[in-house]
Parts: sequence; structure tokens; C-alpha cells
Amino acid sequence: MHIPDNYLSPATCGTLAIAMAPIWTVAVLKVKVQIKQHRETLPMLGIAAALAFLIMMFNLPIPGGTTAHAVGGTLLAVLIGPWAACLALTVTLLLQALLFGDGGILAFGANAFNMAFIMPFVGYACYRLGQKLHHEKIGLAIGAYLGINTAALVAGIELGLQPLLAHTASGAPLYCPYGLNIAVPAMLAAHLLVAGWVELVFTLLVYQFVQKVAPTNLYQTTPKTSQRPWLYLLGGMALLTPLGLLASNTAWGEWSPSELKHLLVQQHVGSTVPQGMAHGFHFQALFSDYAIAGLPVSVGYILSALTAILIFLLLIRGLQHDQSTFKN
Amino acid sequence: MTNQPSKTDLPTWLQTPNQPITKRHRQPFWARNQRHLQALLVRLAQPAPAIPATRWQLAPHIKLLRLGLLLLLIALINNGLFLWGLALLLGAQLLILAPSQLRRFLRSWLFSSLMAVIIVLPTYWLNGPATLLWFGFKTSLILANAQYYRATTNFQDLLTGLKTLHCPDVFIMTLAIAITYLRMLGNYLLQTMEALSLRTVAPAKHPYRLIGALFGNLYLKSYTYALALYAAMEARGFNGHYAKPAAKPTRWRDYLSLSPYVALMALLIFWRN
Amino acid sequence: MPLMTLEQLSYNYPNTQGLDHLDLTIQTGEFVCLLGPNGSGKSTLLRILSGLATASTGTYRFNDQAITADYLRDATKRQQLHQQIGLVFQNTDVQLFNPSVTEEVAFGPRQLGLSTAEVTQRVTDCLALTDCTELRERVPYQLSGGEKKRVALASVLALNPSVLLLDEPLNGLTIAAQQQLLTLLSRLQAAGKTIIMASHNFQQVQAVGQRFIIFNSAHQIDADVAGSVLATQPERQAQLMTL
Repeated sequence: MHIPDNYLSPATCGTLAIAMAPIWTVAVLKVKVQIKQHRETLPMLGIAAALAFLIMMFNLPIPGGTTAHAVGGTLLAVLIGPWAACLALTVTLLLQALLFGDGGILAFGANAFNMAFIMPFVGYACYRLGQKLHHEKIGLAIGAYLGINTAALVAGIELGLQPLLAHTASGAPLYCPYGLNIAVPAMLAAHLLVAGWVELVFTLLVYQFVQKVAPTNLYQTTPKTSQRPWLYLLGGMALLTPLGLLASNTAWGEWSPSELKHLLVQQHVGSTVPQGMAHGFHFQALFSDYAIAGLPVSVGYILSALTAILIFLLLIRGLQHDQSTFKN
Repeated sequence: MTNQPSKTDLPTWLQTPNQPITKRHRQPFWARNQRHLQALLVRLAQPAPAIPATRWQLAPHIKLLRLGLLLLLIALINNGLFLWGLALLLGAQLLILAPSQLRRFLRSWLFSSLMAVIIVLPTYWLNGPATLLWFGFKTSLILANAQYYRATTNFQDLLTGLKTLHCPDVFIMTLAIAITYLRMLGNYLLQTMEALSLRTVAPAKHPYRLIGALFGNLYLKSYTYALALYAAMEARGFNGHYAKPAAKPTRWRDYLSLSPYVALMALLIFWRN
Repeated sequence: MPLMTLEQLSYNYPNTQGLDHLDLTIQTGEFVCLLGPNGSGKSTLLRILSGLATASTGTYRFNDQAITADYLRDATKRQQLHQQIGLVFQNTDVQLFNPSVTEEVAFGPRQLGLSTAEVTQRVTDCLALTDCTELRERVPYQLSGGEKKRVALASVLALNPSVLLLDEPLNGLTIAAQQQLLTLLSRLQAAGKTIIMASHNFQQVQAVGQRFIIFNSAHQIDADVAGSVLATQPERQAQLMTL
């Protein structure tokens, strides 16, 4: 799961690092609130980072005599809260990159995005949903499995986009040489079949142990959650969307429909690319926006960003309604 | 020796020798994990001996900046000659390392490069040998530079470097706590595994249950450590701010050492336009 | 045939020395006290005797079988050794990893393939012997230091080892609990067990030890005296009091 250096183009690394900036900011704000209630959270960030390091280092046996290792993103989110987990995992990833050579230094932002943001938050969302439906363990199990697989999918997409984003004049890829057709299935297969289940069993058993032995040591959600940090996050991301445009402008600009098709054929994607893979990701959706409406790409880009934000807000709204009905 | 319960009033089973168990099994992952942890603890106990302090020693933050610049340059440059130059520069720096350090550097560098190349090996059939060679060359150059940084920088230097580059205090503190407690928690985990192996007299039927308990305990231990650490911090007058030691002045040769990379970067930018 | 034999055994940690050329023989059924200042090598010796570490140079033989890294690599042989030698750690925290005291004590016997009734019997006996019966439903993680020591001893006893190694077992115990533990150890010795106990407090173990092995801070054995001989040497006793 740790993406090494030179697999991602500097533009992708930069974009993802910039995308992490508002997330880190909100995480710091949220954790400050958490510290006011549980002051040991402050040292716990560092200690949890050490714990995550050990989890990622520990070899777990899998059938067939080999071993795999868990990441522990979902577990940490449930144990110390998702925002604290995000910061702790960030520190772990930084230590691994700088001092232990695990994961790239330039790719730090990308790794943080996948493992310190996507994974704990997807996992935690499933856990919370399960908790509301009074099946928190099922929620946690699904969360652990889904969390690591979503992170793997995103990592696969990041890697698979590289041949399209960066290549020589003759079409030879400069960074990760595998297109979406290889990177995404490879990442997903490994995680859907093996790593996801390892993560699930590991997360569930550790959680079960802590719940049995010291249930008060689990992260307790505050009953009234302020939505302001979410809005900060959204605002930050909205402000940063043009940056994404800047970071990959040249590459985006090159994508006239015919050239894209040419590229896809060159990359052996052509007709072999699965439907969900080609259309599931926003770049494809965005691209079709542009093609249909005939707008300049920047306008299309901003429009789709606005659409995404709106969908996100609607989603939050829907969940809020859910919460209040459950309270009643 | 008599086995009469009346003499010592101990339970009979405790006075009769055990039947040795003969069940065969293999669970090598416990031993492997213990080995890995021991290696980690040894590494943390004796941080990378930085190159002997010479007048070529750079300020920590300059080292960090140089690493970032170098990696960015290598990732951006697609000109073989420039990369060759950068490789020569690194090679010259490697000459300063002590022979034992150099050997250790080569070992871990070759291993990590091999791992990176193996992953992209199928490219040979997809895109031809040129892509594979180019990718392998650039990746191993990046890995070599990162490895050189690790070999010549200890943890304290990294912290100082980040501090001088105005990283937030909370972040520096968290990083410092993380590395300290990595050692403590690692030690704790290793000892627990040893205790477990002493009492594992037969194959465990559910190794995962044990692993769950192991890490559950480790988390609870972390929690008690955190409580104790906060109490200790407060007792020592911690007010949420992390005191900054006086930063070492940046010297002209620190900037000089960055100049080749900055020049190269400038060249790269202007060449493109 | 001696139970344990050490010949010119040294152990080196990555940065420091742990043990320096030890020669030692221990017979079945002895009650041995290892004395010495902190960091003199007592714990290291216990780790080697239990098979957790192997000698850097020299040999260690248990029941006339040389215990080497190669020998311990065989899982079955290693487990047979662990079945015969029990170790109570100095930091008992690391030894307790089950969610309840009962499960903690039952962990070992369950693996021996005993019937449920036999396991229950062993658990009940061990908890009674170590005075832990009222702790049986508690969570080990939440016990006090002294309680943890007793539970750790119970969980090691449940495997019925023939050799019992204890690293500073009296630390953190009340005077009454210390007495109780020492009495139990004497009873175990009377039942044929070999007891090897490390301590830095001569006063605490003076009454029970039949043989005292005294380490110096250079990680060597300074003296190896029988309890009966030591009783006639008041000046040496006074010296040991100030360790």
C-alpha cells in the first residue's frame, strides 16, 4: 500500500499533498477540541503513531504459509477518533518515509491521502453507521474491509493515471508504467482477496479485546457534533480546486478526445477496460461533461467541483435527518 | 523424592512430572516478528552514526531541503546527462562514509532497488527494455539519495531540521513522542511475545485471537503511557508550547551546498519555457 | 547428572556485555537465589536458562542437552523446553494478555490437550495456591502490581514446569504477601521442583535460599555459597545487605 518514490509524477504528489493540507488543518482543529475533554489525547497522538508503526510492521499469518500485514487505519479511528487517527497515521507515514525507507518521500502526500485520510474515514463512517443500526461490530468489520479496499482503489487509480498524465513524446510512460487496466485490478485483487480480510479479522479481534477489557478506553463520540469543521474542509477544498487545475494543466489540456482515445489504445486499455473502472472515476465524468457541453476545460472543472460539493452537502443533510430520527 | 500429597499438601498434578508433548507444528511468523522487532529495537537503540563531524557537516534543515530538492529534480529530469551528473555527485558524497557505513548503505540500497525493479519487471514485455531501464535507473537514484540521508542523519537532526523549517510545535512534539514510544512499545511487544512463546507449549489453535489480545493489550498500555506522560508533562510545567532551542546559524557553505541543485532546477524551468 | 550446566558462558548485548564467562552447575531440586546489583546479569542469566536467549560464547546444557540457537529453532524441541522451565518476568505486565484472570491461568493447560475438567482443576488449584481465587473474574489489565505478580505466577504454575525461574518476584508485594510467596516456593521445592530466583534484596530471601550466587557489576559470579555456610559468615551477610 505504501507507494514508493518515482511511481507518481511530482505533479500528482504535489496535488495530493495540497489536498491533504485542509484535511490536516481540520484535523488539528478537531483534535484541539478533543484534547479539551481528554487531555491525554495530546501525548496519545505520538504514542498512537508508534502503535500504528508496530501494527504495520507485524507479520500476520495467512493461509498458504506466507504473511501479510495490517494497516490499522480503521482500528485507530475507532480507538482514538478519526481525526486523531488521521494525525497519528500521518506521523507514522512520515517516520516510515524519512527514517525507515517505507513509502516514498515525494509520495508522502499521496500515501497520507490514502492511508491517513481515506482509510480511517471510510472505516469510521461504516462503524458509526453500524453503531446507529445497533450492529457496531458488523459496521466495524465492513468498515475495516471497505476502508482498506477503498484506499487500495484510490492508490490504484493514482498509479494507473500516471501513464496518461506523464509520458514522453513517443508515449513511453515516465513514472508508474502500468495503466488503469493493470494498476487498479492488481491493487484491488490483492486487497479484496487477502489484505482486506487480514485487516478485517485483525481490527475486529483487537476491538473485541479492548471492548471486553476496558470499554471506557474506546473513543466516545461527543453527542453534539459541530458541523463547522466539515464546512472548513469543504471551503478549503473548494478554494484549492483551481490549484488542482494548475498542477496538472498541461496534462489535462493535452486530452483532446481523439488523443485520449489514441492514448487508451496505446496503453492497451481500449475495449478491455471494465465499465465501472472507466466511468467510476471523476476524471472520466468530468471529461464527458466537457465533451458534452463544449465548455473550456477550466469551467468544466470548476462546475464539476461545485457539483461534487453540492452532492456532498446533500449527503450530510441526509445523514443529519437520519440522526434525528434515530434519536427519537 | 516422594510424591505424597500429604507431605506438601500441593495438588497431585503439580507433584507429578509432565508428559512431554510431541505435537509438531510450524508457526514461524512469531519467530519472524520477534526477529524484526529485535532489529528495529537495535536500530532505535543505536541511531545511525552520522558521518564524523567535519567542516563539511551541513545544518540539519539544509540537509532536509537538499534531500527534497534532489528527489524532486530526479523525478522531474528526463535528461540522462543531468541524472548522470547527480549520480556522480552522490557517489562523491558516499566516499566520505566509513567503509562499514558504506557497506550497510550498499546492502539496503541494492535490496530496495531490487524490490522496486521487480514490481515493474513486467513492463519489459509491455513497453520494452528502454522504459524499464529508465525507470529502474531513476528509482534507484532516488532510493540512493534517500538512503544516504538516512545513513547520515540521526533522529535528533531530523527534528532540529523540521524545527528550523518552522514546522508546528505540536507536530514536532508528536514526532518526538512517537519515536521515543516506538522504542518503549516495541520493547513491550517483544517481551509479551517472549512471554507468550514461553507459555505456548503447543500450537495455538487461533493465532489471530492471540494477536488480537496482543495488540489490544498494547493499545491499553499505550493509553496508560499517555495518561502518565501527560501527568508528567503537566507536573513539569508544560503549557502547550514546545521550547525552541537556539537554531544554529546557517553558514555560507550550507547555501553553497544547495546551489548546484537550485541551478539545475532553474535550468530545468527555463529550458521548458 | 546435573540439571543445568553452564561452561564459560558469555552473553553480549548489541552495545554492552550481559554475562562474562560464567561457570555454573545446578542440581535438580535446588533452591537458588541470584543476588547482585541492578544490571549485573541476573535477568540475562534467567533469559538464557529459559531459552529466550542463547549464549554468545560458551555452552548451556539442560538435562545434558546443549541448548543452542539451532536447537531452539525446532519448534517442538523449543516448546518441550518451555514446558519444563517456567519464567515469571520482572515486568509481569507483559506476561498477562488474556481478557480475564481465569482465562490467563487456563491458557497454558488448554494447549496441553487436557480435558475441560482437568483444566478447571488446575486453574482452581493454582488460583488457590497463589491466593488469587477472589480475582478470578477480574481483568488482568486492571489489577494492582502485586496482584499481577501473583496471577503471573499462577499462570506459569498451571503448566506444571519442573524448573521455576522468578525474576524479582518479591518487588511490589506486601510483607505478608512476600512471606506467603516464599512459603509457597518452599513447598514447591519440597515437591521436587527446582527454584531459581533473582533478587537484589538479600534480606528478603535470606531465610529461604539454600544456595546464593552473587554477581558483581562486571557481570561475573563473585561468589557461590551454600546458605548453611553463609549463616556462619556474619561479615559477608552484612556486605550483602548493602547490595
